[in-house]
Amino acid sequence: MFILGFHFPADMGNNIPDEKVVEKLEAANIDASDINEVKMTMESHGQVEELSYTNKDTFMFKALAHYIKTSETDYMIYTNRYQIAELSKRIDASDDETMELCKKFDSMAHFKITAA
Amino acid sequence: MAELRQIAFYGKGGIGKSTTSQNTLASMAHYFDKNIMIVGCDPKADSTRLILHEKAQSTILQLAAEMGTVEDLELEDAMKPGAGIFTPDSPGGWINCTESGGPEPGVGCAGRGVITAINFLEEEGAYEEEGLDFVSYDVLGDVVCGGFAMPIREGKAQEIYIVMSGEMMAMYAANNISKGILKYANTGGVRLAGLICNARMTDFEYDLAKNLAEDLGTQMIHFVPRNNIVQHAEIRRMTVVEYSPFSDQAIEYKELARKIINNDMKIIPTPLEMDDLEALIMKFGLEEEADEENIGKAAEA
Repeated sequence: MFILGFHFPADMGNNIPDEKVVEKLEAANIDASDINEVKMTMESHGQVEELSYTNKDTFMFKALAHYIKTSETDYMIYTNRYQIAELSKRIDASDDETMELCKKFDSMAHFKITAA
Repeated sequence: MAELRQIAFYGKGGIGKSTTSQNTLASMAHYFDKNIMIVGCDPKADSTRLILHEKAQSTILQLAAEMGTVEDLELEDAMKPGAGIFTPDSPGGWINCTESGGPEPGVGCAGRGVITAINFLEEEGAYEEEGLDFVSYDVLGDVVCGGFAMPIREGKAQEIYIVMSGEMMAMYAANNISKGILKYANTGGVRLAGLICNARMTDFEYDLAKNLAEDLGTQMIHFVPRNNIVQHAEIRRMTVVEYSPFSDQAIEYKELARKIINNDMKIIPTPLEMDDLEALIMKFGLEEEADEENIGKAAEA
């Protein structure tokens, strides 16, 4: 099973608890202290929207910072983006701004992501 | 030496199995140095064209007909090395290509070609090629025809990846293929290794594919977005990996390849009843529950 690119052994089944994904994210030990803002470009049917996200205490921010630090390019892989949104909706449920971003992530739009 | 893995791509006709499989296998060879043999199990023989840069490879059945019998056929006649970056002497892994072929439309049993091809390849030692890491079967449609179930039935393909989308018929086919896997799981050892969503970019497609995977007891291993670059590459008879290796779509296929290489989730599926499949689609709002009085009525203007 693969979530956010992390491998979870088959004996864990096909329904991985959120805390196990958070554990993996923390165990990856990525230094994201230099990232204060995540900038994204969302493009759909020729419409481009620039997004900024700064809520550093959320799962969403940690997952995006990890993605930026470990990916080869600024392109956001769709599966990872959907999985980040899926987990964030449960873990960051009380943060309205993050929930708005989750809605955008659920779309079919194309995303580019960078740190600022 | 690593154990040979035999995988297969199944799915509804027209879902993009051959495109998905060739791009994924190209990524496994190019980015991860895997050596692969493709066994195309589709009478239209399009499972290798992007790797060979050819319109259609001569099939084992065609060649056998030209020679008189399959016994007169040599392996080097039926198996061609990939072109471009997939040749044995280029950096990275290599890909060897074969196509089973089939009878003329409307005549004979198409599955027979699959049986003949696999038996021929085994007898000629194609599976014992030095350094071979993966054998990949690309199989037509769903498994209504027993001949096309041959890679499953005979225990040739051990890991099945079902290419599907969020459309009803693709999900129906995925469920049907799971029934075929279940039937032979205990005798042949075949397992379902995951769904690959080759996206049509329909509403809630990720959720549909993921939930179907969960209900089947497996994983949705990757969501492949639609991107015109795939068609641009196909016009040149190339995979995206070779046509534009740094493109966004090549990154998607590379990630899918990495996951397949590292995948250890191989399960006996738990297929859904038709009512449950329809309920899943209704849950995500793609199909409104129809009142009996509205059956057969056109949409309101």
